[in-house]
Amino acid sequence: MIRFQLNNNPVDVDVDPDTPLLWVVRDHFKLKGSKFGCGMGLCGACTMHMNGAAVRTCTLPVAAVQGASITTIEGLGTPDKLHPLQQAWVEHSVPQCGYCQSGQLMSASALLATNPNPSDADIDTAMNGNICRCGTYGKIKLAIKAGAQAINSATVQTFDPRAVETQS
Amino acid sequence: MNKVSLTRRKFLLSTGIAATGLIVGCSVTRANEIGYSTVAGAFEPNSFIQITSDSEVIFYLPNNEMGQGILDGLTTLIAEELRVEPGAIDVRHAQRHEDYTNPEMGMQATGGSNAVRGQFLPLRQAAANAAAAVRNAAAQQLNVAADKIVLVNGMVDVDGKRYPYGQFASLAATLPVPENATLRSAEQFDQIGRERPRLDALAKSTGTALFGIDAEVDDLLRAVVVRSPVIGASLISFDATEARKQSGVVAVLEIRNGVAVVAESYWQARKAAALVDIQWSKTELSSWSSDTLYEKFVETLNDTSQKGLECCNEGEGGSLLENSAIVAVADYYAPYLAHATMEPMNCTVQIDGDRCAIYVGTQSVQVSAGAAVYYGDFDAGKVAMHPAFLGGGFGRRVIGDDVAEAVVIAKQTGRNIQVVWSREDDMTADFYRPAALVRMQAGVSEQGVIETWAVRRVGPNTMNYVLDEWVDALAPDFLNKRFVNWLSKFPHSLFNRFVADPSSGDGIYTDYDTANKAVYHVTQDPGLRTGFWRSVGNSSNAFFKESFIDELAHRVGMDEVQFRLANMQKNPRLKKATELAAAKANWGQPLPAGHFHGLATHSSFGSAVAQIAEVSIENNTIVVHRVTAAIDCGMVVNPGIVRDQVEGGIIYGLTAALYGEVTLRDGVVQETNFHTYPMLRMAQAPTVDVHIVDSQEHPEGVGEPGLPPIAPAVANAIFKATGQRLRTLPLKLS
Repeated sequence: MIRFQLNNNPVDVDVDPDTPLLWVVRDHFKLKGSKFGCGMGLCGACTMHMNGAAVRTCTLPVAAVQGASITTIEGLGTPDKLHPLQQAWVEHSVPQCGYCQSGQLMSASALLATNPNPSDADIDTAMNGNICRCGTYGKIKLAIKAGAQAINSATVQTFDPRAVETQS
Repeated sequence: MNKVSLTRRKFLLSTGIAATGLIVGCSVTRANEIGYSTVAGAFEPNSFIQITSDSEVIFYLPNNEMGQGILDGLTTLIAEELRVEPGAIDVRHAQRHEDYTNPEMGMQATGGSNAVRGQFLPLRQAAANAAAAVRNAAAQQLNVAADKIVLVNGMVDVDGKRYPYGQFASLAATLPVPENATLRSAEQFDQIGRERPRLDALAKSTGTALFGIDAEVDDLLRAVVVRSPVIGASLISFDATEARKQSGVVAVLEIRNGVAVVAESYWQARKAAALVDIQWSKTELSSWSSDTLYEKFVETLNDTSQKGLECCNEGEGGSLLENSAIVAVADYYAPYLAHATMEPMNCTVQIDGDRCAIYVGTQSVQVSAGAAVYYGDFDAGKVAMHPAFLGGGFGRRVIGDDVAEAVVIAKQTGRNIQVVWSREDDMTADFYRPAALVRMQAGVSEQGVIETWAVRRVGPNTMNYVLDEWVDALAPDFLNKRFVNWLSKFPHSLFNRFVADPSSGDGIYTDYDTANKAVYHVTQDPGLRTGFWRSVGNSSNAFFKESFIDELAHRVGMDEVQFRLANMQKNPRLKKATELAAAKANWGQPLPAGHFHGLATHSSFGSAVAQIAEVSIENNTIVVHRVTAAIDCGMVVNPGIVRDQVEGGIIYGLTAALYGEVTLRDGVVQETNFHTYPMLRMAQAPTVDVHIVDSQEHPEGVGEPGLPPIAPAVANAIFKATGQRLRTLPLKLS
C-alpha cells in the first residue's frame, strides 16, 4: 500500500509499485488533466508537483511518492477559482490543441513559486522540458510574465503586512 | 429546414440515443461531455442549433477542434447571425450524420484548412433563419409587428422591453422556419472580426478539456498492440506464454495487424506486451534503408526515359529551357516526416451486444464510424460516435486505423477497451509525409523574367495510402467486404501509374507568372505508408520552389523581394502579402551584426503568405531570431486565432526544417521518441510577428498556409549568412 497526499487529500493505492504516478493519477484516481505524451520524461505533458517541485510523472514510479505531497493541474486551480497563471493563460488565449498545457502550467507555477520575477532566460530554462507541438511558446512566455505580475501585485495588496502598515 | 430536422430526429431514434437517453449532453466549452439529443420544448430549426425554453442556445459543431480554433470560429458565425454572445453558446461536438458533411469535402471531415471557407455562408444562413424564426414567433406571441423587434444578446427587444429567446421557443417550433433570411452585412458585423479570448481556453487551461485519451467508461480494460516493426508485414506466429502470466493480463489475442495485450491497467498491458515474441513476414519495404532509397531516387531522377506523370504542362512546357539567357538547374531533397501529435493515438470502445460507442479524437467522425462498421462488423446504425478534442491532428487523425484496431479487440474480447499507443507506437506506425527528390530547372531572361519553369519530381504519393483506408471505411456497408478491400487497392495503381496525385505537385508551379511550365512526377515508393501532413505537398514543394526562386534572383542579380514581385503580377494576394512582410520587417535595412534576412512566399489553401526570417549562425548552429509574416486570408473571423495559426505553422514547420527526418533501416522506422525525433523547444523558438492583410474577400484557410514558407525563408537567410545553399532538409551546415 502506497500512501501520499494528492491535491491536499490523503490517498492510498495498491498497484504494482513500478507503475508510473501518471497512470495511477489518471486511471486509478480518474484525474485526467495530466497527460501522457512520451513515457520517457522528454515532453513534460505529465508534469505534476512533488513537494512543490515540477516532476515528470510518466517515469516516476508510484512507490517513490510514498509520503509525498502531489499536486496536479486539478489542484492548481479550477474553472471557478483559477490560479493567476491560469487566468493569464485564458486572457492571452494560450492553448491551441491544449494537450500540453496542463504540463506547461505545472512547470510555470513551480517556477514562479521559487522565482517570482523570472527573466526570459529563467523562463526558457524552466520550460525547456515542456514541448508544445502547436507552437504556443511565445504566448506561454507572455502569460508567465503576466501571471507573475498578477501574483506579485496581489501579494503586495493582500498579504504583505508592511503594505498595510504603510497605508494606515 | 424542417425536413432536415426530421431527418435528424429519425437518425437519433435509429441509433437509440434519443429513445434511451443514453447520452446526456453537456457543453464542451464548460463541462466537456459530448451531447446529442432532442430537447423537449426546444426550438430546433436545423441540425446545428437548439434553443431551449430555458433560453439555452446549443450549437452542434460540425468540424473537429484540434487546436486550429474552429470551435471558436464557427461558434462566432452562429453568434453573429443569431445575435447571441459567443461565450453564452453551449457548444457540443456533432455526431455522425450527413447534415454535418463538410461542404468543401463531401464527407464529414476536418482538413484542408477549409472549415471557415466552406461554412462561412451555410452556418450563418442556418443561424439567420433561426433568428428570423424567433422574431416571427415573438411578433405573434407579443402581438407586435416583426419590424418593431430587435434581437440583441439573446433577447427579443420591443421598445426597450426585453424577453429571453426561450420564451418563444415552443411557439417557434410550430411555425415554418424561413429558409433565406437576410444575412448581416460586413459593415454590421460585431462578432466576426472581433478579437477576444478563444472559447476553449478555460477548459484547456484547467485540465477539464476532454481528449480522446481521457475517455472513461465502466469496466474499462486497457490494451496495447504490438505492431510489425516493418509496417504492413504479417504475423507468422507468436508466443505469449510469458505475457499471459503477468499480473493483470486478461487476454492476448492476434488481430489484423499484430498482437493485442489486454490488461486491467495500461502499465500492466505495456509491460506484458514487451514479453510477446512474434515472427513477422518480410515485405518489399523490409529491403529498403534510407541510404539505398536515396540512391534509388537519384537513379530514377537521372533516368529521363521515365517521363513520369504530368502534374502541369503549360505553354511550351520545358522545351524552350535552353533558349533563355540564364539557365539554372538544382536538385533538392526533403525526407519522410512523422506527425508527432502531442496526444499519442488512442481509441476507446464501449461494447454492448451488437452496439458500440466509440470515444476518439478524430478529424473525421465519418471515417472513424465507418472503420468501426468495416472492421468491427457493426451495423452503421448501431455505432454511436463520441468525438472529443484532439491533442493535435495535423492530418494524422483522419485515417481510422486507431478505431480499426480498438473495435476488433473489443469485439473479440466482448469487453470495453481503450487502446493507448506509446510514443514509440505512434512514431513508428504513422502515415508519413512522403520524401521527395526534385530537379528544379528554370530559364530566366537577363531582365529577370522567368520564361521556363520545369520540375522533375521523384518519390512516393499520398492519396493512394489515404484512399486505401478511406474506401474501406466509407464504402456502403451492403457491399461485400472482400470486394471493398480489393477496390481500396485500386488508388495505388491509379496514382502511381496513370494520374498524377494532386498532393505530389501541390504548390510547386502555381505562384509565378511563367508562360511555359512543365511538372512531372515519377513514382518511386518503397512501400512506407504516407498521409496528409500539415499543408501536405506544399510542405516540401514550397521549400523546393522558394529556395530555387532565391537562387534565380541571385543569378539575375536582383533583390529577392523585387524579383518575386516582378514575377507575380497575376497573383495580387501574394504580392500584397510580400509587400506587407517586407515593409514590416524593414527589408533591406541594416540588421544587427551577423544577422541576415531570408524571404519566402507561398500560396496554399486559398491564402497567400510571405515570411521573412532573421537568422544568424552561432557556433556553427542555425539560430532563428525573428520571423515576420504577412497573410492574406480574406475576411478574418478572429484575428488572434489567425495570428496564432500562422505562428503555430511556423513553429511546426521550423521543427521540421531544423530537425525533422524519419529514416529507415531494413524497412523499420528508426526514430522512436523525442530524443531521436527532436522538437523545437521554447529556447529555440523565434519571436513571430504576424500581420494580416486587410481584406473583405471570402475567408480562406489559415490552419496550414503559415507552414510552407518557413523552411525556405530560413534556408535563404542561411545562404546570405554563409554562402551555403542548403538544398536538403533538415537544414544542416557543412
